Amino acid sequence: MSFLEYVDRNSDRIAFLTVQHVEVVLLSVAIAAVIGVGLGLATERAPRVRRALLAVTGTLLTIPSFALFGLLIPVLGLGLAPTVVTLTVYAVFPILRNTVTGLETVDPAVIDASRGMGLGSRQRLMLVRLPLAWPVILNGIRVATIMVVAIAAIGAAVRGPGLGELIFRGLSRIGGANAFNEAMSGVAGVVLVALTLDLLFVLIGRLTTPRGLHD
Amino acid sequence: MTDPTPSTPPPDVMIRLEGLAKRYPGQSADAVSALSMDIRRGEFVVFVGPSGCGKTTTLRMINRLVEPSAGRIWIDGEDVTDVDPDRLRRRIGYVIQQIGLIPHMTVAQNVGLVPRLLGWDKARIRDRVDELLDLVGLDPAVFRDRYPKQLSGGQQQRVGVARALAGDPPVMLMDEPFGAIDPITRDRLQDEFLKLQERIRKTIVFVTHDIDEALKLGDRIAIFGEGSRLAQFATPLEILSAPADDYVRSFVGSGAAIRRLGLLRVADIPGGGTPPSDGAVRVTEDHTVYAALEKMLESGTDRMVVGGNGRGERSLTLRDLLLAAARAKGEPR
Repeated sequence: MSFLEYVDRNSDRIAFLTVQHVEVVLLSVAIAAVIGVGLGLATERAPRVRRALLAVTGTLLTIPSFALFGLLIPVLGLGLAPTVVTLTVYAVFPILRNTVTGLETVDPAVIDASRGMGLGSRQRLMLVRLPLAWPVILNGIRVATIMVVAIAAIGAAVRGPGLGELIFRGLSRIGGANAFNEAMSGVAGVVLVALTLDLLFVLIGRLTTPRGLHD
Repeated sequence: MTDPTPSTPPPDVMIRLEGLAKRYPGQSADAVSALSMDIRRGEFVVFVGPSGCGKTTTLRMINRLVEPSAGRIWIDGEDVTDVDPDRLRRRIGYVIQQIGLIPHMTVAQNVGLVPRLLGWDKARIRDRVDELLDLVGLDPAVFRDRYPKQLSGGQQQRVGVARALAGDPPVMLMDEPFGAIDPITRDRLQDEFLKLQERIRKTIVFVTHDIDEALKLGDRIAIFGEGSRLAQFATPLEILSAPADDYVRSFVGSGAAIRRLGLLRVADIPGGGTPPSDGAVRVTEDHTVYAALEKMLESGTDRMVVGGNGRGERSLTLRDLLLAAARAKGEPR
């Protein structure tokens, strides 16, 4: 059976797993966005805490994902929970880092003028600093998403949802009937999901970047 | 809020600084020390001095962007040393060299921001924005919906001035507002701003390191020395005619007598009345003596006919001019 025939015959299952994959990625990134942006804002007056957080979340990225999934089994068991937790852990760093960078690179003259006009710190944040930092923060979310799409496939090792199931099952019985096609369909699905979400973020970026900031 | 104390300033004083000082943490010397001055209602005061003399720190203490370490600040009869700084700043216009327009907001949104904070309704804000853009010489129909980066530096600073005026504050603080603008545009903006000030009569505190800008714009000039020492606080003519000490003399630089001519008007010269004679140049009472003298030098004559201002015509000689210039020495404007 050719690859395309395989995909055609199994389209229901592949489609189902693809949707699952997207869902678990978006859920994890959404949680990570709340945590990352929240930590970035909360540590504005605590630069040491901020540096420590960046170091810790950055270091977490160096843990091989397969190991992290496995290490969480005793705590969270199998399935959705360890997958979401792991993906969130990986997604926090790029979002936190870009939140910090975005806020720090707002032109100090704009901040000074805003203070001089009588904008309080909250108004400066909501009306001036966050809108100006937004394109950078959004880019952090985008990088996190693409990264996590690939890692999510490994989640199948702990019976997590998504396209990883096709890859793991295919690889485990390689040489068997359609084993290669099954693994390939999982890989192709992951790549497709990554490309689609990337495009989606480009679109969101276009739509949500304030007009005065476009070149 | 505060009881009237002996130090409560009289009504014609808009800004009173009393023993104002600032020492930054970890510094052994004051950035500003024990500075006291009164700035009158509607007065245009220029702080001038070398960098590090504390002029900008002093300016930023008036709207409490820098919190004073000691001393008190009164604005319009009210002790504002301890009031809520954000509310205070909405009543004080603030213009800086880097302009600092908010890039994701249109010109109208930038100018309308303070009125929005003050809770004005939309129609009133829109009218105010258009009025202010007109005032600073920008056509509202063209510029209202532009973004800052679609404007030239000169246009941006016009918007900066309009924005500072938006809440109709009695006081304007301007920190080298024309410092980053090319010389030709700067000269034009200075002239326009002087005309604008004649109409709006704000109390202005203006910081510059350029003594010529100070002499051109200020009703009074505060010359700062090292360690925020107030070397002289006087009118431009007084500073050119009677510098308080060697520091002021060297700061003002050479050519004081010539520069004084730029501050005198033909109208300030008494006498004349000889009938018009051939070969004389024509000037108006509003010309500066400097400009009149230049015209005479250009045409190689020692005589000028002054007309206009409904005074009838009179003629003045080079000698009248020289006598007047010499008399102006030491006399307040």
